[in-house]
Amino acid sequence: MTTPTEPYVLNIGPQHPSTHGVFRIRVVMDGERIQDIDMIVGYLHRSMEKLAEERTYTQNIPFTDRADYLAAMSGNLGLCLAAERLARVEVPERASYLRVIFAELQRIASHAMANGTLVSDAGAWQTPLLYMFREREKILDLFEMTCGARLTTNYMRIGGVAFEPPPEFWPALLELVDELPERISEYEELLTQNEIFIARTRDIGVISPEDAINGSLVGPALRGSGVPWDLRKAEPYCIYDRMEFDVPIGRNGDVYDRFMVRLAETRESVKIIRQAVENIPDGSHKTDIPLALRPAPGEVYGRVEGPRGELGFYLVSDGGPAPYRFHIRAPSLINLSLLRELARGASLSDAVVTLGSIDIVVGEIDR
Amino acid sequence: MDSLGVVIAFYVLSAITIVSAASIFLLRNLVHAIVLLVVVFLGMAGLFLTLSADFIAVAQILIYAGAISVLFVFAVMLTPLASRDNGNSLYAGPGLLLGGAIAAIVVVTAFDVEWNQLTGVALEQRSFTDTIEVIGNQLLGPHVLAFEVASVLLLFALLGAIVLVTDPNNEDGAAAEEEAGKDTAVGGSE
Amino acid sequence: MTDRHSELPATPMARQIIARRSLLDAAKAAPVSLKVAGSIVLLGLLLVNALIGFIVVDGQLDGEWYDFRDLGYAMERLRIELDEVNLGPWLSYWVTGLIGGLGILSFIGGFLLIGSWIERRLLARFQVRMGPNRVGPFGLLQPIADALKLMQKEVLIPMGADRLLFFLPPVLVFVPAMLAWGPIPWAPGMSYLDINVGLLFVVSITSLSVLAIWMAGWSSNNHYALLGAMRTVAMMVSYEIPISLSLIVVVLITGSLNLGEIVAWQTDHNVWLAVLLPFSLFTFFFSSTAEINRTPNDIAEAESEIVAGFHTEYSGMKAGLFLAVELGNALFVGALVATFFLGGYGLFGLEQWIPPYVILAAKASFGYFVFIWLRSTLPRFRIDQLMTFAWKYLIPLSIANVLVVAVETSIAARWEVEAIFIYGSFAVVNVILTVIAVRTWARVAGYSSSFERPEPPRVAPMIGGLKAARRIKAGA
Repeated sequence: MTTPTEPYVLNIGPQHPSTHGVFRIRVVMDGERIQDIDMIVGYLHRSMEKLAEERTYTQNIPFTDRADYLAAMSGNLGLCLAAERLARVEVPERASYLRVIFAELQRIASHAMANGTLVSDAGAWQTPLLYMFREREKILDLFEMTCGARLTTNYMRIGGVAFEPPPEFWPALLELVDELPERISEYEELLTQNEIFIARTRDIGVISPEDAINGSLVGPALRGSGVPWDLRKAEPYCIYDRMEFDVPIGRNGDVYDRFMVRLAETRESVKIIRQAVENIPDGSHKTDIPLALRPAPGEVYGRVEGPRGELGFYLVSDGGPAPYRFHIRAPSLINLSLLRELARGASLSDAVVTLGSIDIVVGEIDR
Repeated sequence: MDSLGVVIAFYVLSAITIVSAASIFLLRNLVHAIVLLVVVFLGMAGLFLTLSADFIAVAQILIYAGAISVLFVFAVMLTPLASRDNGNSLYAGPGLLLGGAIAAIVVVTAFDVEWNQLTGVALEQRSFTDTIEVIGNQLLGPHVLAFEVASVLLLFALLGAIVLVTDPNNEDGAAAEEEAGKDTAVGGSE
Repeated sequence: MTDRHSELPATPMARQIIARRSLLDAAKAAPVSLKVAGSIVLLGLLLVNALIGFIVVDGQLDGEWYDFRDLGYAMERLRIELDEVNLGPWLSYWVTGLIGGLGILSFIGGFLLIGSWIERRLLARFQVRMGPNRVGPFGLLQPIADALKLMQKEVLIPMGADRLLFFLPPVLVFVPAMLAWGPIPWAPGMSYLDINVGLLFVVSITSLSVLAIWMAGWSSNNHYALLGAMRTVAMMVSYEIPISLSLIVVVLITGSLNLGEIVAWQTDHNVWLAVLLPFSLFTFFFSSTAEINRTPNDIAEAESEIVAGFHTEYSGMKAGLFLAVELGNALFVGALVATFFLGGYGLFGLEQWIPPYVILAAKASFGYFVFIWLRSTLPRFRIDQLMTFAWKYLIPLSIANVLVVAVETSIAARWEVEAIFIYGSFAVVNVILTVIAVRTWARVAGYSSSFERPEPPRVAPMIGGLKAARRIKAGA
């Protein structure tokens, strides 16, 4: 004796407090349950890949800042590694250590943002977000000290890093690194046993390992499903093979596991930074390369483990100063394709929380 | 019914109630009609207050304006075209006739009956300040059987509503069944 | 924390943060003359208090119209004077009613001015930031700036919206919020509506705002608004039952629906009902957060999901009224909790010295503070979790609570023992029964303890893809 119902279309439009950027979802809902979703991207398309074909490789580094604007260092690192492989440029050891320090700092900052916005989406009125932002602010202050910018750092160069960090950088870094583990414990204490948070995130948005591999999921989302794949251990780049750290994986593949994996990864990043600071050798911070680097014709695919997963750069060179083809493999775009299956049958609140746990950055989806 | 304030209140409230009640069946917009129904309920609560029936007035607001109107609202929202043209109906003529006939019967009976009215000293001796206590004593004293029977009846209505709405195949009738159950439950517990 | 900041590179942001001092820092850094003047004023106030205490203890103040501890006496005197003017009995009622009404409105209005500031500053403090501190000294003029901004906004009515039903809800949600303050007793002789059905009046008037919210959602011609309104209506209507059930228990023990008598019972027996009825206190408090749409039950205005819920399409002062009513309702629930469970205007005899309305205002503000605390700390529930909690958990337990307290009340009525033994044993028995009932019913309702302590992520022993994942899962 149920009344016949009709599905309606809800447009979670480009402007929305919880879509993590300009990103549109058309949701076909039946009451409170989602029947189907339709994701429309492209609102932030800035045609980076085409513009990059007119600029030299060094001039293309700022594009990577703005693609994934929450993980600028990782983007820079990816492009530099790919270009170095293409042009066969050697990187001094000190530069590699500096790159690792900054990439891990960026990972901590990005995970703080991702976890904070996830808890805000679950309804906690930004309090955990602002707590995590304390550390993020200190990290961004460190970035500003070194390269002058907080968000779009443009710090890595082909052959090393752009600047040597100033003398006041190292004590500030050590102070932060000493303080972080207890802060992470504080966040764990606040959130991981919180009933309401567990009720909102447990068994929501479950991705099985098979679905994850079939859907090309990468990053903490993949590790949350139990698949132990981390590029820093599988294909070590940039002296990661000398670092001792663990790769946390989850058990169920739900939102809670992805949250916990990110939190645990922050701890591992702190370990890596400490080891890097202890072992950093002296030397120059970059090798000299010609102003307009002309790599030999060829193609390369260089990838790094960014905070969101495998951030890949496909460069094709035709011998000129500008790349013939410049493509960014954005992890957010490919991770996002799983949202459709996850959202079917879920309620709207669950879909929002799942989207937050996949951790997308629209800048990198649209480029 | 002596003081000037009470008389003014009576006339004002009666005017509001009657005009709203008339507008309910004269309006074309069903949703507006529901709002006016709520006004009628509130007007009636005010009229109860002019008769010093404080408990009944507050219970009227709680049950009618608070719960039953929500039930009406849900029912109207499930009606297609609730805000559109609802004026023309085949039953307008017979409806008015029947309504007029009932109104005539009620008015004639009201004027004809010998109302048991107390005045003066008898009123003073009989009047009480605490209606709740008296109602409570009556409900749990001389009229306890009727009270219990009414409660059991409402319980069956609640259970029946849940049974009617639950789809044995899935449990997604939960929201609707709770809504249906709530109104009868409120009516019973008060 | 401030020291560390000054050691870090002084970015412009950090410099600004250090430059704008908080209230406490400014107070500590005040000039000496100000501090001396302040201490003299404080000493003067203490002297005045002592003098008042002397008058109070000596009984010279009791019952006179200048007894400021209970403004009811002044009202009585005014009523007598107005009756002697001989214009009719209506004059005294109208005048005193008007004065009382204006008093309540000005108290609520004044609170709304400062309440918004308190909420934003407190929320900010919980979130390690400052809160508004630019508009006026320490941001105290921020609510006025907000009100002015809202008033000068363009009046937008969405196309296709029902005009009448669009204009009504802000008014309809404001009137019950004001009207429900009537029965609350501020002092033994001082309640605006000292009616014998006070408790029922409060519950019924707050149930009127459900209609207003539905109207707001329906008339906006907007999917988000309708979704929000439906969720809110279902939630509010569901949580009225636990509220009524937990208040029935209060009525059972105190024997009256009159709020003044409930508070008088608590002052006479020198016990707060919170001690006797812990489960009812929790149920009432939690269900009230659902009634007034505050976290953790603010699914109605879940900003991250449905933008602003039922008041999405409202701009300008209409939205301002909704927000103001939310604030006012929070204080109102604080006052209700104080009246029913925390002893109202009484503080174990202290209400002879301190004016009782000050005590009640302090308790209501404490309730408001707890609301802000909850808002800044807890995430929100999903709508089906909310409804499940109300229907499967709170209502059965509340009914059991009514049964237990009814048995206890009939024991108290029949047994001739010292009140302290009876009620003391009730308190102990109630606490024990609450703990037992809550735990057993949680198991029955399907709440597993593995939910409480989920396992933390483990370290990957090997790196690989799907095969490695399967191997780890099989091995673990």
